[in-house]
This record gives sequence, structure tokens and C-alpha cells, in this order.
Amino acid sequence: MIARDATAAAVGSGLRSGKRDWSGRLFASALLGSLLAALVILVALLWEVVAKGMPVLTERGVDFLAAGPSSLPAEAGIGAALAGSFVMIIIVTVVAFPIGIGAAVYLEEYARDTWLTRAIATNVRNLAGVPSIVYGILGLVLFVEALNRVVDIRDLGSLLSGGLTLSVLVLPIVIITTSEALRSVPRSLREAAFGVGATRWETIRYHVLPAAAPGILTGTVLSLARAFGETAPLLLVGVSTGFFSTGGADTIERLLRSPYSAVPMQILNWSLFPNPAFKSLAAAGIVVMMTILLLVNGVAIWLRNRYERAW
Amino acid sequence: MASAKPIVTAADLRGGSARRRRETAIRGSFAIAAGLSIVISAIIILSLIGNAISFLRQIDLSWLVAGGWFPRSDQFSIATVFVGTFIVAGVAMLIAVPLGLGAAIYLSEYASARARRTLKPVIELLAGIPSIVVGFFALTLISPDIVQRLFPSATFFNLLAAGIGVGILSTPLVATVAEDALRAVPQSLREGAYGLGARRRLTSTRVVVPAATSGIVAAVILGFSRAVGETMVVLMVAGGTGGSSFTINALGPGQTATGAMAALAVGTDQVKGSSAAFQSLFFVGLLLFVVTFALNVTSARFVRRARRHG
Amino acid sequence: MRTTRQRKLVLAASILAIVAAACSSKSDTSSPGSAGGGLSGTVAVSGSSTVLPISQLVAENFSNANPDAQISVDGPGTGDGFVLFCEGKTDISDASRQIEPEEKKACDKAGIHYVELEIGLDGITVMTNPANSSITCLNKGDLYALFGPQSEGFKSWADANALAQKVGGTGNFPDEPLSIVAPGQESGTYDSFITLAGIDTTAIAQGIPEDKAAALRTDYQSSPNDSVIIQGIEGSNSALGFVGFAYADQQGSAVTKIEIDGGDGCVEPSASTISDGTYPLSRSLYIYVNTDKVATNDTLKAFVDYYLSDTGIASVTAADYVAIPSDRLDASRSAWSTAEGS
Repeated sequence: MIARDATAAAVGSGLRSGKRDWSGRLFASALLGSLLAALVILVALLWEVVAKGMPVLTERGVDFLAAGPSSLPAEAGIGAALAGSFVMIIIVTVVAFPIGIGAAVYLEEYARDTWLTRAIATNVRNLAGVPSIVYGILGLVLFVEALNRVVDIRDLGSLLSGGLTLSVLVLPIVIITTSEALRSVPRSLREAAFGVGATRWETIRYHVLPAAAPGILTGTVLSLARAFGETAPLLLVGVSTGFFSTGGADTIERLLRSPYSAVPMQILNWSLFPNPAFKSLAAAGIVVMMTILLLVNGVAIWLRNRYERAW
Repeated sequence: MASAKPIVTAADLRGGSARRRRETAIRGSFAIAAGLSIVISAIIILSLIGNAISFLRQIDLSWLVAGGWFPRSDQFSIATVFVGTFIVAGVAMLIAVPLGLGAAIYLSEYASARARRTLKPVIELLAGIPSIVVGFFALTLISPDIVQRLFPSATFFNLLAAGIGVGILSTPLVATVAEDALRAVPQSLREGAYGLGARRRLTSTRVVVPAATSGIVAAVILGFSRAVGETMVVLMVAGGTGGSSFTINALGPGQTATGAMAALAVGTDQVKGSSAAFQSLFFVGLLLFVVTFALNVTSARFVRRARRHG
Repeated sequence: MRTTRQRKLVLAASILAIVAAACSSKSDTSSPGSAGGGLSGTVAVSGSSTVLPISQLVAENFSNANPDAQISVDGPGTGDGFVLFCEGKTDISDASRQIEPEEKKACDKAGIHYVELEIGLDGITVMTNPANSSITCLNKGDLYALFGPQSEGFKSWADANALAQKVGGTGNFPDEPLSIVAPGQESGTYDSFITLAGIDTTAIAQGIPEDKAAALRTDYQSSPNDSVIIQGIEGSNSALGFVGFAYADQQGSAVTKIEIDGGDGCVEPSASTISDGTYPLSRSLYIYVNTDKVATNDTLKAFVDYYLSDTGIASVTAADYVAIPSDRLDASRSAWSTAEGS
């Protein structure tokens, strides 16, 4: 008995009409059109950026990549901002990854399925969806004001505060991607290890983690890319909006205390100047930034393809 | 034989005490890591609530319904800020939903495997573009060459350009989540429709999309949440950095929640302490946190519903 | 295990990289105090966005000569700069107006001692978009009608005509949308504009209570970033705003500098009219230096020495502002030598 529902009615009317399916074709074209619109937007964006930015890069090349901020467009470069981003990425790696991977290991491998565990998991998911500027508030309260009372760090915000803020921003993403990677490892692997007498840690260390490593690596690389592109939280922790010099920074301690900038922040500063020369600098900075992001994403995809195992 | 001693005892399997201590220590350190995520949430919420309360105590509650958002003039109209947010997010959805859903339906129902391989990267590339880049694009192209050409009365800094930029950022998110939802619809449903003679448009619109409703709703809510939380594009092109009167005019400057917070940071981040103007930052932050939290929880509920019925 | 080992290797390599990068640079620093090269302290400058281009140029040149010095220069606004300065968080506060009594009180309360040094001259430039060609000269009455507290809600230039005529302005503005982009209350330019254009006196004469008289209308797009103001003027056909002279002058013909009639005829802002004071909205630019910190911070001392030296003070004109007359420069220099000596 054919169910009398909307589907059958719709299908029936389709069957009965004998014309060519113009509306169908129109529909398909409209759908393809939306994809093409996205493509047009992408191309327009890249074109605009490359057209404005390439002249700067071809004329000044390495000089642009090495120089620091300057009021003169002909001398300003993205070097200092690149260095700042680089140091902050390292801080993120050192701080967020161990904690994030550890938290995920606990949630997936050790914790029993109680309300507490589920609450933590939900909490992590919600943290991942919080707007990035709210993390700036956390950074301000914790890593500028509170930290200032404990350690003698720059009052207005320093590389360390910036790096720690980005670490907290990225932490939920690391936890989520690592959890998913761990979940994809089949139970049989763990059970086999238990079966020969391994403790839980030994199982994790020698069997589960290596198996989940590709997924974890991809996730961590992608979260680094995210940290690299974020500016909003840095606004609240004293990133430079004018000129700064890190002063050689010949010790790690001095480096962590110095004023700083990051690549997206430098682009923001340049974008706000009405002088077209600065807009070109901003575009050149974007080209550098997108190249780095492309490389990083490429590495992530390569890692995933190379090491991924189908279970 | 029945009373022979077993070769391996439970004690052997349990291992030495050192091994067990190490196990406990390692388990403990992982637990601490997991606990840290709760600590972070707690700090965020506590600092937001604490300072928000301090803010509310300092101000005259009538200031919350003033004519505009001018923190330095003691005008803290929450309505201005959130109307601005919803205008920008609304415009963003007007772009992200058609483009995102359209792309998702095409990739899931119409595209051949080869077409999918060529076209899906478009969405993935768009997803990888940082918001500062879209902000730059909005400043140099969307506002002068699109919005101001179409609407000559528009000022250079306007909410519409910001909305379009945010829409570009939300599109990949809507597209990806919706596509996942559509692909999760069992093939048998489609085959049933085709078997009855339905063509692709009919199948897609009357069979597949309705079946994937929960997932699609989740996609739209997530896109909206992203739009509400976007800061850079708004900071660069929506104007209103010092404040804004209540406005519903998308062709003029305006203020959003994230923009208000960023403006307080860039202009005033140095003005710390207990001034009401600065503490309004926490108040807006709390409201924003609550709104995005609610949106994300709702979206997760729809995802769970999709999983159950899919 | 291959991947775990690889991960350990990557971790070790990156740690080595940080240490190497941190230790390898500048391992041959000359001793502090050596001629022009070895200063390695920190200098934090913040405050006025108007003075920012000057301080930035000074800082860049100083940094080139002293690569080990950690310097930061920002421009969130004169008012915000003073808050930081009087909390001891910055060493130098740029200001486009003099310190106000409440700010002085805050500094005294925190035990901050400072010296005020005049370093340059500026003329607040009122601008409009070149497309708005009927506006070439405005007098103080016009400025009050367009910007003052009673202009709240005027959405078109023509709305201000009645009020302008009432307070002695010309009052024949076209019926074009009035979109104002100007500094906000964090800015010294805001305060200077009110005083120099006589907004507060006109307001009191019009019956506005004294505590509300020294304010502009609130419904305009304010920005602490002067570049954003310029962009707003350039981008909208009948926009109006005001900004420090250097920012406007550098835009050439992309903005129209409106002549101001202070009672003696319309005067265009230029280096000469600002220098001799004929431009009505001329004002001084200052830096305030924390003298307690100077005692312990050689780099800060050298920085201010450089600022006031002939090469340093040339940054004022290089940044497109106007140099102070030599007698006032000498006054600043002697104020500084007394302060650094104490």
C-alpha cells in the first residue's frame, strides 16, 4: 500500500507532467550559481589582495619581510610582527598542546561516563564556540593584571600575555580534535593490549596515542593556523597599535616581556591608514599571511594523508 | 589437578606498587588537565559576572535605555548594541544561508564525484580565510565599490558592508555543516523517490532536505552564532568605534556587541580600573557570552535530533 | 613508536630553535652608555593620537641608533594616556592639551612627579569632503551650530542653519546629509576644539548648564584613530570632521581644509598661519615625562635628550606639524635640564 504522504503526492505530480524539466534545470543552475558565487567572491578577494600586495613584495622582497614597523611606508615591514607571531605560536605549542592532549586523553580514556564527564565535554564544546574577543577578557584579567602582581612583566601587556591568551583560545579546539582522533581508534586495539596485561597508561602510550597521532597532529596544526590568524583577543592584552621595538631581546626573559605585535594586528594597523601606500603594505602582509596559512594547511593535509590508517 | 596453584595470579597481573603509583600519578595529571578546562570556563564566567555586577552597581539603570551607546558619556544603551549585532548578523545570514545551503545541496545531490573534488575546495579555501583579510576586503572593495555604488547615500563606514563581510565568513560554516547533514540522509530515501519517478529537484527539495532539517537548522544556527561573534570585520568597517546612537539604518555606521568590546579595548584598554566606561566591556561580554552559549546549545540539540532521526 | 619518536624530535627541535634564536641575536652588545649604541632599557610612550606621528618618528630614529632599547609608542588619546601615566604605567605621555586639574590630582595621589615640555604646534583642521564645495569657511557660530551640544539630532547641514544664525554664524548650509566623523572624549583634540572654538562659552551663553557646556553633540561617529576619521571624510560626500593638522595636510586634495573665521576673517590652516597664531584653532603639543623614572632609567633620559635635540625636534616638522619658536624650545630644554638634574 503506497503511503499517502507529501512525497507520494509530489512524485505523482512529477510523473504526470510530461514536459522537459525546466524548473529542475533552473534549480540546478541556481544551486551551481551559489557555488560559483562563492568562487567569484574568493577570486575577487584574492585578486584584490594580490594586485595591491605583489608590487610591494616584488620591489622590496626580503626587506619587507625583515623590517619592523615604521611611519614611512617605504621602510615599514612585517618582520617584527612575524617574529611576534612566531614566538606566540611556540608559546601556544608549549602550553596548549600538552594540556589539551592530556585533557582529551583523560576524557576519552580514563573518565567514566558520569554526569561530570559529560558536563566537562559539553563545557569544552561551548568554549570552542565562544567569540574570540571574550578570550581577550580572560587574557586581560589573568595574564596582564593578575600576572603582573606575581611576575615583573610589562604592565601594558607583553608577548607572554599574548601567547598565553592565544593558548587558552586554542585549547578547546585541541581537546575536541584530539578526542575525535582518540575515538577513531577501535576498541579492539585497547582490549588487545589489556589482554596481555598492559596498564591503561601503557596501552595509551604504546598503542592508542601512536594510532591516533595523525589525527592529533592534523588537529594541532590546524589550531596553530587558527592562533596565527586571530587578532581580536590580542587587542585586549596590549598588542602594539603604533610603533614598537623589541630591543634585540637577547634573552628569552626579555623577549617575553617586550612589547609585541602579530601579523594580523600589523595588517589591521596598516589597513586603517588612508594613505594608499599603507593599504598596499597591508595587502602585502596579507599575501605573506595567506602563504604561511596555505603552507601550514598543506602540511596538515599531507600529514593526514601520509599517516592516516584505515581501520 | 583442581587444587593446583594457578600459574599467573591476580597479584602478578596487578603489577608492582611502583607501577601502580605511576599509573595513579599519570591518571591524576591528565585529570588535572581536564579540570583546567572547567577552571577556564569558571574564570571567564566569574570575571564577566563579577565585573558586570560592579558595572551595574556603578551606573544609574536608566543609562541602559539611553539614546545610544556612548560609554564615555554614560550612555549604555544595550538595545543599540544588540540591534546593531542583529542587523549585521541578519545581513550575514541573508548571504550565508542561500550561498551555503545552495552549495551544500549542489555538492550533496547534484555534483558528480569529479565535480565535487573540484568544487568542494572552494568552500574549504573560503573557510580558511582569516577575518582580518575579509575586513581588508570590506574596506577596500565591498564598502566603496559595492555598497556605496548601489546606495549612494551610504557613508563609508556602514553596517551593510560589515554584514556582507561577515556573511562571506559564515558561508563555509553553513555549507559544511549542511552538507554533512544532507549526506547523512540514507540513500534509500533518495532511491525510493527516484524509484517512484521523481526527478532530482523534487527529490532534493521534498525528500532529502526535509529529512535533513535538524542538521540544516543546526548549520544555520551555527552560522548565526559565528556572525554574532565576529569582531575584526565589524571593527574595521562598521564604524561606531566611539559609540553610536540607536540606529536601524544599515547604510550608516553602527555598533555591535563585539565592536563595542573591541572599541573599548583599542581606545580605552588602557583605562583600566573601576570606571563605568571600561567595565561596560565586561557587561557586554557577559551578554555576548550568554547569547552565543544559548545559540550553541540549541544548535547542539538539533544535531542530536538529527543523529537520532537520521 | 616511529610517530611518537618523531613527535619528540620535533618538540626537542623547536625548543632548541627558541633557545638558539633567543641567544644568538645580539650576543655582542656593547656596554651600556657607550656612544650611541648600547642603551638597552625600556621606554613606554602613550597618549595623544595627534602627537603620535611625532613620537613615532623620534622613537624610530632612536631605535635605529639604539637597537637594544625596548620602546613602544601608542596613541589611544590624551585622556587615556594621562590615566596610564598617572598610574605609573607609561614613562612619557603625549598630549595635545595641557593636563587637567583632576588628572593632576590623580598623579599627585599616586606620587607621580612629572615635567611638562612643549614640543610643537598644531592647528586643528576642520575638514569636509571635496564634493561638498559650497562649504569653504566657517566661523565659531557655525562650528557651534554643527558640533555643539544643541546640534544633537541634526541630520542635515541645513538643520543647523537656524541655530547658526542665532549664535552669530553664517548659517547658509546646503541640504546635504551631515555625517560627522571626529575624535571622541578620550582625545585631547576634542577638548582643545571645544576651548578654541568657544563651544563652551557659546553654550553657557545659550543657557546650557555649566557641567554640560564643555561637550560636543554625542550622535556622531567618533574614533580614537585619526586615520579612521580621515577615511570617513574621504569616503562620504558631505562628511564633516576635525583632526590634527598633519593628518589633514597629508591627504592633499582628498579632503578640503575649511577656513576658520575667528573674528578676523577666514584663515586657512597652514604652517605659517599656525606658527604666527593667526589660525584661530592653533594649539601647543606637549610631552609629559615621569621624572622619578628618569633617575633610574638611562634609556629614558637619553630618549628625551634626543627628543629635544635638534635632530629629534626636527621630527615635528617631518611629521608635518609646526615647530615652536626657538625661545620656547629653549624654555622646554631648560625645564628638562632642571628636571633631569633634580
